[in-house]
Amino acid sequence: MNFLPVEFFSGFWANAAAWAAVAAVIPAIILLYFLKLKRHPVEVPSTYLWTRTIEDLHVNSIWQRLRQNLLLFLQILLVLLVLWALLRPGWRGSRSLGQRYIVLMDVSASMNATDESPSRLEAARARAEEVIDGMGSGDVAMILSFSDTARVEQSFTENRTMLRNRLRQIGPTSRATDMTEALRAAAGLANPGSTSQDEQDVQVAEPLPATVFILSDGGFPPVSDFALGNLTPQYIPVGSAAPDNVGIVAFTTRRNIERPGQAQAFARLANYGVDSVTVDVELLVNGESRDVQRVEVPAGEQVSVDFDLSDIDAGERTALELVLDRDDALALDNVAYAALNLPRPARVLLVTPSNNALKAALGTEEAIKLANTTVVEPALLQTQRYQADAAAGVYDLIIYDRCLPPTMPQANTLFIGVVPLLDTWSAGPPQGPPVITDIDQVYPLMQLLDLRDVNIIEAVPLHGGVDPQNGQSRERPPGGSVLIDSDIGPLMIVAPREGFEDAVLGFELFGTNADGQTVRNTDWHLRRSFPVFVLNVVSYLGGGRAAVEGVSVRPGDSIALRSTLPVEKVVVEDPEGNRVEVAREAQNTFVYTRTDRPGIYRVYEVAGDEPSQLFAVNLFDSEESNLVPRGEVQLGYSTIEAASDWQPARTEAWKWLLLLGVGVMMIEWYIYHRRVYL
Amino acid sequence: MSQSATQTPLLSPQLLAQLERMELVTRKVFRGRIKGERRSRRKGQSVEFADFRSYVPGDDLRFLDWNLYARLDKLFLKLFLEEEDLHFYALIDASTSMDFGEPTKLHYAKQMAAALGFIGLCRADRVRVESLGSSRQHAGPVLRGRQSLWRMLAWLDALPPGENVPLVEGVKNFCLRNSGKGILVLISDLMDKQGYESALRYLLAQQLDVYVVHVLAAEELDPELIGDLKLVDCEDSDVAEITVSRPLMERYRRTVASFIEGAREFCTRRGMNYLMTNTQRPVDELVLNYLRRRGLVR
Repeated sequence: MNFLPVEFFSGFWANAAAWAAVAAVIPAIILLYFLKLKRHPVEVPSTYLWTRTIEDLHVNSIWQRLRQNLLLFLQILLVLLVLWALLRPGWRGSRSLGQRYIVLMDVSASMNATDESPSRLEAARARAEEVIDGMGSGDVAMILSFSDTARVEQSFTENRTMLRNRLRQIGPTSRATDMTEALRAAAGLANPGSTSQDEQDVQVAEPLPATVFILSDGGFPPVSDFALGNLTPQYIPVGSAAPDNVGIVAFTTRRNIERPGQAQAFARLANYGVDSVTVDVELLVNGESRDVQRVEVPAGEQVSVDFDLSDIDAGERTALELVLDRDDALALDNVAYAALNLPRPARVLLVTPSNNALKAALGTEEAIKLANTTVVEPALLQTQRYQADAAAGVYDLIIYDRCLPPTMPQANTLFIGVVPLLDTWSAGPPQGPPVITDIDQVYPLMQLLDLRDVNIIEAVPLHGGVDPQNGQSRERPPGGSVLIDSDIGPLMIVAPREGFEDAVLGFELFGTNADGQTVRNTDWHLRRSFPVFVLNVVSYLGGGRAAVEGVSVRPGDSIALRSTLPVEKVVVEDPEGNRVEVAREAQNTFVYTRTDRPGIYRVYEVAGDEPSQLFAVNLFDSEESNLVPRGEVQLGYSTIEAASDWQPARTEAWKWLLLLGVGVMMIEWYIYHRRVYL
Repeated sequence: MSQSATQTPLLSPQLLAQLERMELVTRKVFRGRIKGERRSRRKGQSVEFADFRSYVPGDDLRFLDWNLYARLDKLFLKLFLEEEDLHFYALIDASTSMDFGEPTKLHYAKQMAAALGFIGLCRADRVRVESLGSSRQHAGPVLRGRQSLWRMLAWLDALPPGENVPLVEGVKNFCLRNSGKGILVLISDLMDKQGYESALRYLLAQQLDVYVVHVLAAEELDPELIGDLKLVDCEDSDVAEITVSRPLMERYRRTVASFIEGAREFCTRRGMNYLMTNTQRPVDELVLNYLRRRGLVR
């Protein structure tokens, strides 16, 4: 629909009175000037010479008067300037009504850089204010801040004061950058779902084109799978061309392969400046200086540094801090943290009549580090002690081999050859031999597995029971993922259950024949993939953690903590000493999300001074440490060049006109008082 | 005018002392009424020899040159130069417009008339100071001898401003009253809306040695006016509305200059001496230096 004529006419008539008033101003001034002609009488010896002087000058004729009167002209000029200023002249020509602007403010870690004074974020904020200043009446703008996540600071509004206030409240973060979410939020209104399933559906929103100002240094990976559609992006790079920054892009601790029980720390330094620099790298252990190394980092290259931690007892919780002693543009990446924790093996209960293959797989060196396994007979399932332990969540993982618990435990489970007694699970009749057609290697349970050489004699296809709402049978349990698919149907499915996960294997490893003898059902346990699978099960479903390996997450990422003791909540202390209680969630995990600040976080399980574990939050992101503003950014299929000669959309002239008006007024005042007749 | 009483005395003692040694000069030799200190064109009785001429019957035998008769056997009469007095007139314009300026133009005119009159008195000339508004009944006194100085000053002091007589009228009356020949100094601002030309022509007809002293106040030469003004003529209440601006002031100055130049040309062409002065120039300087160079005094 085209509203322009209507708006134009209503606007015209609404403004007619205002225009009339404007048009009346100048005649009014001239009129006042005639009224003002009250002359001051002065007695002179003779008007003889004066009349001779003025007789051909006709000073009193109207036009002569106006020509002579500089003050009048200055006043009219002043009024014209003020009127002109009130009309808000600007350049960049014609513009349609109601433009939409979206300001995307990068608040990622790199925007803390101080190569622009006082910081890049402030520079971006200034640019954004220019955009807001450039808004005409009827224009609306929206402010989004983005790091690895996007946040709508201010939804579309015409209120510039509100926009400025919100803009001022935007603070920097220590996070990495990912534009995807911000762009999707920005595109929400510009590119509404344009397809309507129903032909009768007329309520498809009209697309609202918008200009997107991306105020960023461009340090983010290309945004894939995104179409700009009605968005007109304008990338305004922030930051100086050659910033000086050396950062720590990696810092990890590893077991010393040659000497088990000891650890080594590795760090990687990257120089993003243009000059080769020599820096001192200092390692602090629990806050005390341990080692200093001097490293030369050539421009544009990365250098590895390793520290020997042999004198550190791997059995102690240790906080490591690596400090780059250098004052460069970005201070955030000059410090890195690592935490050494006690090993915390998972508690695994294996309930099996007899399964030597499984016991052997759980008894490997690697598995022992990850899990403390208890093997019991199925008869135990009926005892009160088991039921109490299962309900209290003592175990992280319970493996039921050819047996079923009376009730589901408060733990992750793996069922082998049986299907849980739940409505959401069902199985077809045994068939065989199935041929494995597909496995989901993306899922952590299936990582590094190759099941092409596995033969199975008989299996049951797994299904999801009957949906009570419509009475139809489900293909798989709600939320479940098929991990092993075969020609007869899914052979392994993992599905969530009240925060836990149940994995069900649709075939037995060992069966029992009619004579009661144990027979093999598959040759999987003879393949190399079996112990790997068991290790995956223990580490993923059991959540086991080996010693020494430092846990590090990036700022803003959530971390799933596991307690060593069966507690309902843990307390996490951030580097500033703020303590937050975290309640237990699914899978016996405690999900902590407030990882905004890099540093060492301490987890307390019981009240006391000693933390049960540590984890580190680090900005290890070469995109953030590389402060050089990118000349272009890749958004979906379009490459957006940096606006080289950046100008806000609308340059206002009214301020200058008003200044000019003030100048004219001062000249008028001067002339009036000094009687300088030009 | 009460103002004149508070103003400086018309003649300071120092000026008087300097004026005593001066005398009025005229390029024309006029016949005086009584014997004075000036040589006359007429021959007469004095110690200064002039010429010889042949005796004609009836001549006074006392003037025969007997020595010549003895040598030539012819009768020659010996002629001597006659010494006579000089008529000096000072004609002051005492209109209201002359009562402007600091000092007022009228005061300035009185000072000048007094100074020149004093010179005449010292040389036993016949001095008469008059104003344009003087009638036959209230004409200025005829003065002779330096003892008359105080009468002259008293008359000048008593001369009030505000005799608004047209210039031509005043001059005409003056000519009717004074038919004698001599020096006339007209002291006026010449600001008459009917023009000064016809007035000066009357004086020409009198065969007077005319000096026109054109007195203008500094306020008239370079007025300090600003703003939108209604100028009121103090004599006839004529009104001129002006808005002061730089071009207008330029134009006014040009008008004044052409006014002065016009008067000078008019006078020079007709053998009158024209002298423009403004009230800021001291009278003694004017008389002792300027008029001396112009030949009015010696």
